[in-house]
Amino acid sequence: MNNDELYSQLSAMFDGELPAPECELLARRLGRDDLLKARWGRYAAIGAAMRLERGVRLHGQLARRVSSAVAAEPAMLVGSSPAIAGRLAGPRLIRWWQPVAGAAVAASVAAAAILWLRAGSPDAPIIAASPMIASASASTSAADTSDAATGSDSYVVPPSVEGPSAAPPTELADFVVAHSEFSMPLLRRSALTSLVSSEAVSDSADAARRAGSTRSDEDRKANADPTH
Amino acid sequence: MTADPSDLSLVRRVQRGDKGAFDALVLKYQHKVVKLVMRYVRNPAEAEDVAQEAFIKAYRALPQFRGDSAFYTWLYRIAINTAKNAVVSRDRSPVDFDLDAQNPDESYDLQGRLKDSETPEGLVLTDEIRGTVNAAIDALPEDLRTAIVLRELEGLSYEEIATAMGCPVGTVRSRIFRAREAIDRRLREVFEGGLGRAEELG
Repeated sequence: MNNDELYSQLSAMFDGELPAPECELLARRLGRDDLLKARWGRYAAIGAAMRLERGVRLHGQLARRVSSAVAAEPAMLVGSSPAIAGRLAGPRLIRWWQPVAGAAVAASVAAAAILWLRAGSPDAPIIAASPMIASASASTSAADTSDAATGSDSYVVPPSVEGPSAAPPTELADFVVAHSEFSMPLLRRSALTSLVSSEAVSDSADAARRAGSTRSDEDRKANADPTH
Repeated sequence: MTADPSDLSLVRRVQRGDKGAFDALVLKYQHKVVKLVMRYVRNPAEAEDVAQEAFIKAYRALPQFRGDSAFYTWLYRIAINTAKNAVVSRDRSPVDFDLDAQNPDESYDLQGRLKDSETPEGLVLTDEIRGTVNAAIDALPEDLRTAIVLRELEGLSYEEIATAMGCPVGTVRSRIFRAREAIDRRLREVFEGGLGRAEELG
């Protein structure tokens, strides 16, 4: 490409009339070629002089000062512009925001786990009666039934499950697993451990409650029957 | 308004770490930004400081520029906010309000008043550049002069100029280029020393 053709392209690019693919190539060259950049600056000065704009200079201090200040700035990372640069950059570029976003999601999961566990305590009001929780409750009670059946030779009528006390941890476990892609391993493990321990506590509390209820029935019968 | 493809290509270069591409954006818009800032601050030296701050803010914010609007629209918003902040921080009112409040009946030539605060050397240089550019334009063939005037003064697109002049868009592009080259050649003849310095930065 001879200089006339190059400068013709530069003039059209200055006016925003150069096709985008040619702009990409010329922008690359313009960023590196000081002589081309000087010509670009004079094109700007010609327009400013024609419009009687103030302070028209061919070698302005302002551009030089900005250039020096920008040179002292840290290098810009493509990943910090998800809209344009990230799309153009491809996967090989650094995406510094991913670990940060992962940590934020993991923290949200942990916070949600604490809130749900508190809400799942016997004193707390029923959280929700959504179909999702209801199905989770049903599956949990079915699991309890099968456990009871395998643990004992005799058939035991499954206790009715009142309230969603077992549902939130199951729901949360599903949530944690579904979002495990974005969470940090340590935090994920911590959240899952909390869920498991909470379920264990909940199960043992249910067992204790059931045992207590059986003992009171026997006491009542003994008191009612004086011959016993 | 969508982004100008040339501005957008330069913005993308900057976002990829090419700081030289930002120089080109500054060179293109510095006069317009200074002109804009002059509505809020009192003198050219202060306007240049505010414009510099605005450009640096724009550079830092460039990762967030999505290309939904024109780059200069986005840049102008930053410049106006920077100028307003500068005025507030110095507890000053915009120049227009001052003049209106103090001399409501007197007709002020704002351009003339602001010129007084520029250095004499700067004023002479600006006048020399304007004189050289105007002389070069006067010496252009009619078709080239019409094309560059419609572009720079009227802000018409190449397609609109082609319609107005009854010629193909490619011819308009060629005429504007040749007009610029003729004016630029004359500038370099007159300001050989100055252009030598200009080549350093670009």
